[in-house]
Amino acid sequence: MNWDALRLSLLVTAVATALMVAVGLPLSLLLARRRFRGQTLVETLVTLPLVLPPTVVGYYLLVLLGRNGPLVRWFDVQVLFTWLAAALASAVVGLPLLVQAARAAFAGVDRSLENAARTLGSSELEVFWRVTLPLARRGILAGLVMASARALGEFGATLMVAGSIPGRTQTLPLAIYDAVQSRDYAQANLLVAVTTALALLSLWAVRCVEASRDPAQRGG
Amino acid sequence: MADLSDGAAALSPRLVVDVQKRLPGLDLRVRLEVGSEILVLFGPSGAGKTTTLNMIAGLVAPDVGSIALDGRLLWRKGGPGRDVAVPSRQRRVGYVFQHYALFPHLTALENVAYPLQAARQGRKARAQAMALLEQMHLGHLADRYPHQLSGGQQQRVAIARALAANPAVLLLDEPFSALDVALRERLQEELRALQRERALPVIYVTHRLEDALAIADRLAVLADGQVQQSGPIAQVVAQPVNGRVAQVMGLRNLFQAQVVAVTPEHTLLDWGGATIAAPPQPVAVGEGVTVYVPPEAVKILYPGRPVPGFLRQNAMKGVLLSTVEHRGRRQWRVLLENGYEVELQAPSRAYVGLGLAVADPVQVSFWKDAVVVLRPAGGAG
Repeated sequence: MNWDALRLSLLVTAVATALMVAVGLPLSLLLARRRFRGQTLVETLVTLPLVLPPTVVGYYLLVLLGRNGPLVRWFDVQVLFTWLAAALASAVVGLPLLVQAARAAFAGVDRSLENAARTLGSSELEVFWRVTLPLARRGILAGLVMASARALGEFGATLMVAGSIPGRTQTLPLAIYDAVQSRDYAQANLLVAVTTALALLSLWAVRCVEASRDPAQRGG
Repeated sequence: MADLSDGAAALSPRLVVDVQKRLPGLDLRVRLEVGSEILVLFGPSGAGKTTTLNMIAGLVAPDVGSIALDGRLLWRKGGPGRDVAVPSRQRRVGYVFQHYALFPHLTALENVAYPLQAARQGRKARAQAMALLEQMHLGHLADRYPHQLSGGQQQRVAIARALAANPAVLLLDEPFSALDVALRERLQEELRALQRERALPVIYVTHRLEDALAIADRLAVLADGQVQQSGPIAQVVAQPVNGRVAQVMGLRNLFQAQVVAVTPEHTLLDWGGATIAAPPQPVAVGEGVTVYVPPEAVKILYPGRPVPGFLRQNAMKGVLLSTVEHRGRRQWRVLLENGYEVELQAPSRAYVGLGLAVADPVQVSFWKDAVVVLRPAGGAG
């Protein structure tokens, strides 16, 4: 069993998920609550990785992170062909799934509840933590699981920016491709089974989130 | 005992609002002064009532003007001195929203404890919230979620939550509009008791005349973006300053009458020679009062049929003057023997069996329990 691939996959997915939360949640809230100039452009850019071939996304990232890209030139940060580049690629590809779900979830939170919290002494930050986020939680979690699963399965863009270096950047999907290429079907079967199990687990997690008590449910 | 202190407190305004706001299709200019009393802000929908509350609560900014509470400026712009804009959370304004706005992810107790936790009162918050819930007779429902509560219970939780923040003024937006009559009356009584106990200024927004009559110390009529008239309720209904006020309030069936007897069962009134019975009131024999008979409480009696018990007392003869149908409801005007005209309303299909035509003689009666007796201005209502 290629434990390195599993370890790398989990690491890359975890870091990609953290990145998606850090960028995606504020962005979703902004898109759900404010009208601003260039909104359509931002929305389109965020959604683009969903419809572009992963290799095209990977190529853009390659240009951005490459020797003449801003990251190297301005900050002297070299991430290409490290697991960090794989995490970045996975995050970019998974982000639209999170943003779409979280945006709808935030938009579904009744504004008068937030206003009520304000009159009850809450600051804007408290309103977010104690009212908006708990009420949007279900939609956000469902979107997050889908986005993480997508990040876990990311292949094309990752290959472009991180390569397939065993033990360093070779995640499960890359290791499977590698195993098939070298006709190591025993290894391929094992890796495929592990990946399928992870995918099933995340779908089951989505189910659980959806079946949990709906905090936004209103009666009477 | 309460009368004197209440009367004195009501004289000194605690909340003073003088603001302007331009809205699409409405130029809102509101001036209000509220003491420790219940001021009913009355007006048709779209008159700017909710916007006014939102401006006081700091959820909507006016264009110019000022808002002050107990001498503290909450908001000011375009006046003398620097601009002031105290954020909602620091205004000490309790707000009961039209659809209650209870947090659906929190239990009744957690809802009430919400402002207490915000004030970092820690563990005491739950005990304090529980005490408030018990005061509202909801202690046994503390662990229910809002969707597991009836409308009246949700309303009480919303009031308890607003009070938990220890507000200096309480705003209620159409608070009891979704509740049935009996419950509404009970909650209105509870609200009056709360107001007196805490000596809070209360603004109660409604578009229903019955609600206003039931609860108001003073009435402010908001129409066409302006406060058309404000004053003690008996004065406003008896002497509307202009036709717009009379029209907005839908003032019909308002009569002057004199008290002839007061018993535990009823108040008997002399109304232009006819005697009518109303619910018992704290009025004195010989006192002149204003009587309001809701058009829905006037019934036509079928000749030859037994009269139902609740209509037996106020039967009178008259002549049908006119009848109009509008959206499934029919309106009749009847000239009574004592020379007064009354209006009555019922679903269109009602009284079809009578085959009434204009100028026909009819017998009508007022449902006793629905007759409203208003004392002249200055009384405790």
